[in-house]
Amino acid sequence: MSDGKIVSIHSFRGGTGKSNTTANLAAQVALAGKRVGVVDTDIQSPGIHVLFGLDEQKMGKTLNDFLHGTASIREVGLPVGENPGEGQGRAQLKGRDIFLFPSSIKGGEISKILKEGIDFNLLNEGLQTAISEFDLDYLFIDTHPGLNEETLLSIATSDVLIVILRPDNQDLQGTAVTVDIARSLDVPNLLLLVNKALPKHDPAAIKAEIESTFDAPVTSVLPLSFDMAENASRDLFSLCYPDHEWSKALKNVVPFILNAK
Amino acid sequence: MISSVLEKIHNADFFKELSNEALEAVAAKTTLRRFSADEVLMRKGDPADSFYLILEGHLKIVTTDARGDEIIINKVGPGETIGELALVDERPRSAGAVALENVEALEMTKDAFFSLLDQRLDVSLGILRGFSHRLRFSTTYIEKVIDWSQKTAEGDYSFLEHTQPITNRPGTDDDKAAQLLSTFYTMVRKVKAREEGLKQQVEKLAFEIDQERRKKEFEEITSTEFYARLKDQAQTIRRKRQGS
Repeated sequence: MSDGKIVSIHSFRGGTGKSNTTANLAAQVALAGKRVGVVDTDIQSPGIHVLFGLDEQKMGKTLNDFLHGTASIREVGLPVGENPGEGQGRAQLKGRDIFLFPSSIKGGEISKILKEGIDFNLLNEGLQTAISEFDLDYLFIDTHPGLNEETLLSIATSDVLIVILRPDNQDLQGTAVTVDIARSLDVPNLLLLVNKALPKHDPAAIKAEIESTFDAPVTSVLPLSFDMAENASRDLFSLCYPDHEWSKALKNVVPFILNAK
Repeated sequence: MISSVLEKIHNADFFKELSNEALEAVAAKTTLRRFSADEVLMRKGDPADSFYLILEGHLKIVTTDARGDEIIINKVGPGETIGELALVDERPRSAGAVALENVEALEMTKDAFFSLLDQRLDVSLGILRGFSHRLRFSTTYIEKVIDWSQKTAEGDYSFLEHTQPITNRPGTDDDKAAQLLSTFYTMVRKVKAREEGLKQQVEKLAFEIDQERRKKEFEEITSTEFYARLKDQAQTIRRKRQGS
């Protein structure tokens, strides 16, 4: 087995900016010279492929095909660095080792897999195969919000779990349960990431408060950004606007990932 | 009368609307008076028998508090008039005036003023125009303050963003309405900042986790057969990977 690490990005509720954060973090780690994979296990509502400029009409083999036994992981992995597309941010990934493992966006395939259930051993095997066949240093998993079974599996197999939350009570409550589950499943590196902090909030105060609540490090506090929201699904924001406040805060998370044991 | 004095008369709000010729007529009715520091020009409660246009130096406008101690309510200087309103409404002095340094002022007595108004329709009209201008100006500002008050009451502070704060020349008393507007603006800005500070405090303190619920939800997930199997598998996977 390869010693590549699985980095799961999770949030208790939707709308935390999870897919965006995952895609941007994966891109930053790839720019740092690492071999990176990105798996969309949000089978119910896939979306991260959009950020990597993947044309839905041209989507080839997907994770669903792998889970149905009609494709190998090798066939699913798309080398983003070979054809990063037109976007000014994504273009910087040219020549980088970053591979996307998309989920199918076809309604029929989504409902089929949800009805049949996911073979967890198979999914886990797929993740391990992705790491070894693509010789990955890091495999990022974009999970479905909440604590359903496929998400629990991602958490269980993670070397690094990044839980994204907004600084509000509902997210804090849900995150508390996720943190307890992660500890119960012996996740070696549990990191918190606060997104969508309002300008009137003091980031340092939020960080201190949440760290003491969960006894886990808050890697960064990302501001709520309208620039970000506007450009979010078009391109990789932190590559387009590297000096933006949001991008700088995001890049603070990268060392936590690179230093995770 | 020398032209610099005429210019100073013209610059006074009270005479702003007068023609040069009318200004000469006003100047002709005045007497140049000199005061040294601490000299009293008028006392509170005295009958109003003249008013002054200051040419040089500064004065303090004073009143007394309940204990009889002096309170300075304003400071006035060249180009400003004092005591003119009391002449018009014929009330006793509402405040006293004391020279802070050597002061030169033109004094116009009540008799001279009234005879001027009697003889010169253009001077009367000019002074009336000055009054109505000030009134109109003040009305606009007061309307603004009413509008802002209503918005502030509704918690709508958006006017702060698209309003230029009015800065008053310190020590001038030429437009109380403008001062009111400016003070009001500053007040709303401070109220808004304080409100945001409080909100932040409230939100910060509001971070609270329902521990009962947390425990219940954790147990709901971990008590399933699926979870037991998953935990088992996770351990196997980790052991395998550590061994690799």
